[in-house]
Amino acid sequence: MDSCLGVEQDLDKATSKFNALNEHTNKVLEEIISQVEDLKNEISKQPPDSPLTQTQSMILSDLAANVKQTVFQTSTEHRELHATVSRVGKSIDRHFIADYASVAPKAESFSTDANRPIMEQAIAQHLYRQGLEEVGDVFVSEAGLMCVERTCAFALLQRCASALAAGDPEPALAWVQRRAHQLTHSPLPFALHTVQTLKVGREQGVGAAIEYARQQFPAHAARHERQLAAAVCALAWLTPGASNPPPQYQRLLDPRALGSEAAELFVREACALLRLAPLSPLAGAVSAGARVLPALHDIRNKMCQQHVAAAWADDELPLEVELGAEGGGYHSVFACPILRQQASEQNPPMRLLCGHVISRDALNKLAMGVKLKCPYCPMEQSPSEARQIYFS
Amino acid sequence: MNEIKSLEHATLKVPYEVFNKKYRNAQRILDVEARHVGSTATELDTAAKRGDVTAGEIDTLLGGMVEKLTTMKRKASEAINEEVQAANVCKKRLDHLKEQAEALQDPAAAQTSLNQWRKVRLDRMLVDYFLRTGYYDSATKLADAKDLRDLTNVDIYQAAAEVERELTARRTARCLQWCADNKSKLRKLNSTMEFNIRIQEFIELVREERRLEAVRYAKKHFSTYEEGQLRDIQHCMGMLAFPKDTEVEPYRSLLSERRWVSLVAQFRGEHARLLHPARLPPLTVTLQLGLAALNTPYPFLYITWSMSGIHKVCFNESTKVSSCPACAPPLNALARTLPHAHCSHSRLLCRISNEPLNEHNPPMALPNGQVYGEKALKEMMKEHGSITCPKTKEVFCMKRVEKVYVM
Repeated sequence: MDSCLGVEQDLDKATSKFNALNEHTNKVLEEIISQVEDLKNEISKQPPDSPLTQTQSMILSDLAANVKQTVFQTSTEHRELHATVSRVGKSIDRHFIADYASVAPKAESFSTDANRPIMEQAIAQHLYRQGLEEVGDVFVSEAGLMCVERTCAFALLQRCASALAAGDPEPALAWVQRRAHQLTHSPLPFALHTVQTLKVGREQGVGAAIEYARQQFPAHAARHERQLAAAVCALAWLTPGASNPPPQYQRLLDPRALGSEAAELFVREACALLRLAPLSPLAGAVSAGARVLPALHDIRNKMCQQHVAAAWADDELPLEVELGAEGGGYHSVFACPILRQQASEQNPPMRLLCGHVISRDALNKLAMGVKLKCPYCPMEQSPSEARQIYFS
Repeated sequence: MNEIKSLEHATLKVPYEVFNKKYRNAQRILDVEARHVGSTATELDTAAKRGDVTAGEIDTLLGGMVEKLTTMKRKASEAINEEVQAANVCKKRLDHLKEQAEALQDPAAAQTSLNQWRKVRLDRMLVDYFLRTGYYDSATKLADAKDLRDLTNVDIYQAAAEVERELTARRTARCLQWCADNKSKLRKLNSTMEFNIRIQEFIELVREERRLEAVRYAKKHFSTYEEGQLRDIQHCMGMLAFPKDTEVEPYRSLLSERRWVSLVAQFRGEHARLLHPARLPPLTVTLQLGLAALNTPYPFLYITWSMSGIHKVCFNESTKVSSCPACAPPLNALARTLPHAHCSHSRLLCRISNEPLNEHNPPMALPNGQVYGEKALKEMMKEHGSITCPKTKEVFCMKRVEKVYVM
């Protein structure tokens, strides 16, 4: 936020200066033009071949000097804005990180001839998934890709969702109706009916909306009592000439906000039902990457010292990044509680006799010959009694 | 640090460069116009000082001056308006960034709007990637479909697309013009663009068997060569001694048609380099880091993905397409080469239900060492009376299942 505000300050300053300059220049030039024109009118009243008087020629000289000074002044004033303009650029450089790629040493490899088609395949997949067939087709032909699957279950969902976000719940409702028996525990059908009720209320009047609500809502009354009441109450503000709704109903009465919220719910629930990932691989990876990047920048600032340089090992990112509820958590990750390190094939998790799990390296380090004391409980055992287990 | 600070430098810097360019342009216009007006003023001054000047002469001079002043006023106002417009493009993007920054700071903000914003960001990144890779039609199509023209550089790249088209059609004029327009910046970057175009023009003259003209051309353009270019020039001159279908290197590759393709590629690179301070588009950078962050050190997760069955197991049995971007084709092929995520705390998932393993759903080990969640195993027990390991298909009873304690 600070970074935005910092740049905004400088940018606003520049804009207002330019606007002021524009006005000022216009005014000054206008004045000088009218001055010259006045003089011209005065002189043109004389017969064309009469000589000038002494005063006139003096006035003329003054005017010439004046004009010269004004126009050069104008261009100088504009030149003086250079500092303001370049300050905007410097401000951008200061508040944002120009060389963001430096923490991703291997990103270069994505532009090689071998890897680029793979990445572009993922892009095409993403475009088709979003229901952007037209863009996808153009892209596939421009990038010269081969065999990208054009249709997928997700594109249909996406079309329903974007119609929903645009305020039309019909396709989504049709989709839900076909799978009503699988969605009995989902809040989705009720949310869609709410959108539809309010839409009917807006388009056909409150009477029709109440009629619709009467048909659809009873089935959901038990699970969504409060929201149901709120949805029906919200209809009160749909009558023509109604006053401004109180804040708790504004969300329901704003078709765009309600639509996009419902669209998100729709995608989430439908994906859960069809066992699809709600984000395309490309979107999932990019959003994870966008979270990693600031953390890496942070740590790079801290790690400029010599003794921490070793942490930039080649086979592991130097830190753990929380990817959020949606961003990560695809795999089980076992980190050895002793070594604080992810287990790997060479160093797999081992279950001790007492049930505690540590990695094999830790086990070997803790073992004293044929004796091993569990680091978490008093039990003594032989290292050979530990057993490898598999989390994935 | 946040996502905006780390990732959005170019979003603002590119329109700023346009703004800066417009500023220089306006300054030039103002200087030129001021000089014009100034010269008429001098004329008027000398005329007024002459004793024998008539009112008619002065009248014409004054008329000319009014005309010049009006032109200056019009041009100045046009130029400054262009500057303000360019600044407004910056402002628009800044406002868009601020939307996200506010939502990031306010934890109570609706997740919906954040997600929406991230979707727009991905679209912006895609457009940016398309533009920088030369997929201009895709970029325009996507920007129009998502109404992103203001937030992306589609319009800025239009001139570049034009130059590329010309170059592909083997016309160099536009590209040379572009080189001249950006001379000082290209020089700072040690660009060889113009030199390479000149060489190409020379080659074309040789190809057309207009060798004398080629020599004249060389005299004109190669005489002021810079360090490191002498060898290329010598090659060019050496070419004069060979027929145009020669098999001798390096003349054969100089005369090859492929040189045009590499010129187009070079232009695309130089153009992007002028606009963007970072060499790689944000899409590749975030994609790479994201894949690394989702990557796990278990090599079999992605190496064996093509061997039937094994890959699926790392998730849910019934999911044919696994949902992890780093495992699913096509991106798994890229993830293989990347570092994996650093992790100091275990984060376990039941491979049957995909639910997290914790005190409410403790991890249980089957006799074969495979670990699943207690809930899923109990459910399986209830349904079938026995437990079938989804991975190895071995059958066990609940008694032989042991608790696992993960710290």
